Amino acid sequence: MDQTNPSNPPRSRAATILTDIHFWVPAAVLLAGLLLLKFIH
Amino acid sequence: MPPDSSSSSPTQIQDQSRHRSLQLLGILCGFTAGAWLGAAEAPTKLVSIGVSPIVISLVMVVGVFLARWSLPALVLGTSSVRADIRRAPHLILWALLAGCLWAVANTLTIFAIRDIGLSIAFPLWNSNSLLGIFWGFLFFNELRQAGWRRWAGVLGGAAIMCAGATVLAIASASQSPSAHSLNGVWAALGAGVLWGTMYIPYRKAYLTGMNPLSFVTFFTFGELGMMSALAFGYIGISPLWHVLVQARGILFWLMLGGFIWVIGDLFQQYAAKYVGISRGIPLSNTNQLWGLLWGILVFGELHGKSHTTYLEVIGGSLLMMLGVGAIALSSATGKEQQHWKEASQRESERYGVSADYVAARFEGRQAAGEALPRRSAIDWLLVAAASAVLLVFAAMARVPQFSFHWAPALVLTATLLLLLFLCGRKLWRTTRFH
Repeated sequence: MDQTNPSNPPRSRAATILTDIHFWVPAAVLLAGLLLLKFIH
Repeated sequence: MPPDSSSSSPTQIQDQSRHRSLQLLGILCGFTAGAWLGAAEAPTKLVSIGVSPIVISLVMVVGVFLARWSLPALVLGTSSVRADIRRAPHLILWALLAGCLWAVANTLTIFAIRDIGLSIAFPLWNSNSLLGIFWGFLFFNELRQAGWRRWAGVLGGAAIMCAGATVLAIASASQSPSAHSLNGVWAALGAGVLWGTMYIPYRKAYLTGMNPLSFVTFFTFGELGMMSALAFGYIGISPLWHVLVQARGILFWLMLGGFIWVIGDLFQQYAAKYVGISRGIPLSNTNQLWGLLWGILVFGELHGKSHTTYLEVIGGSLLMMLGVGAIALSSATGKEQQHWKEASQRESERYGVSADYVAARFEGRQAAGEALPRRSAIDWLLVAAASAVLLVFAAMARVPQFSFHWAPALVLTATLLLLLFLCGRKLWRTTRFH
């Protein structure tokens, strides 16, 4: 999963987002938070 | 070696002067954010009846939603929001993610306070500033080549503020821990991780050039959507409606709290933009200090408590101010700023956002050829609709019986308005709210 590679050829916005670690870190933390909430409730 | 101004070109000197000015602006924004975020607790203190914490949180978020659409419409107009979104539409996803993170974290704090009390819970979730510093360094080049003094200033300042916050939380706590203490610890730590991670979307948006006023309008959909889902899921639609009808007399105070909170949050967003998340988060975490000032001076919360409690409050406040001072004196240098620019260019290239636009917004300016923000009839309609909703709930509101000291309330309100005026004026003069 690359964080920076400006020399990549143009690709779709969805592919750019899905290979961006800045997306996956908050998404994973959100999922973990929801699981934690379910566990402690 | 830092650039020597004596041998720099006039453009370089102008750039350095601009960066210094933006750093000062960011610090002022962080400090103002703390004051307004702390004041947002005041209206919620009027609510002492037994309403579920999730309902309290949901109603505050409704007030937040109203403010997040009406304030940007009033300040710059929604044409500016639309223009920003056309340039960087991918950031809508990050705004929604950040809103969802906020809502889950806020709900976790409610469970944490219930299970382990504020004095233990607060320092645990206040660790969000340390995580923010880590993400800022890892993903956005913050504190790169900053030198050991600035590292010590930021990390040491954040640690001192955590210690001060712990002392204040101990002094202000009145709740005994329950039997679910381990759950409470997990909930508080989880909230800290979620809130610390929420700043990744913030910083990404601002390095890409998005105006904070545009970002928050989409952030709030994630916030309200997730909070509504949690309330419907945990309480159920019909019981929720029943609770809201029963509590209609206090809904206005909660919405007002949410509205005030947004003003603080807007300044927090500008702080994240101009001093980065590593400095912006700890500065706006001073909200605890302001919240405590309202509690002690206006609502007489520590009345009759021992001298030890007052000593804890004074000591904790001094520690927090010391931490704020250390961070405020650790502004980013030219070399670190250069790393920020590289992170900004990386976002521009990756998502095909105009380099001129990103560079101009990084400097707090409009890009060449960018249309001036203008307010339209839609904006005035939004402002009128939000005001009307608040007025309707204000008409239904009842003022509960409580101890209230007018003189300190007026002094604190005047201080808030003064900070709003000074910081708003500096934002306008320096960046035109960009």
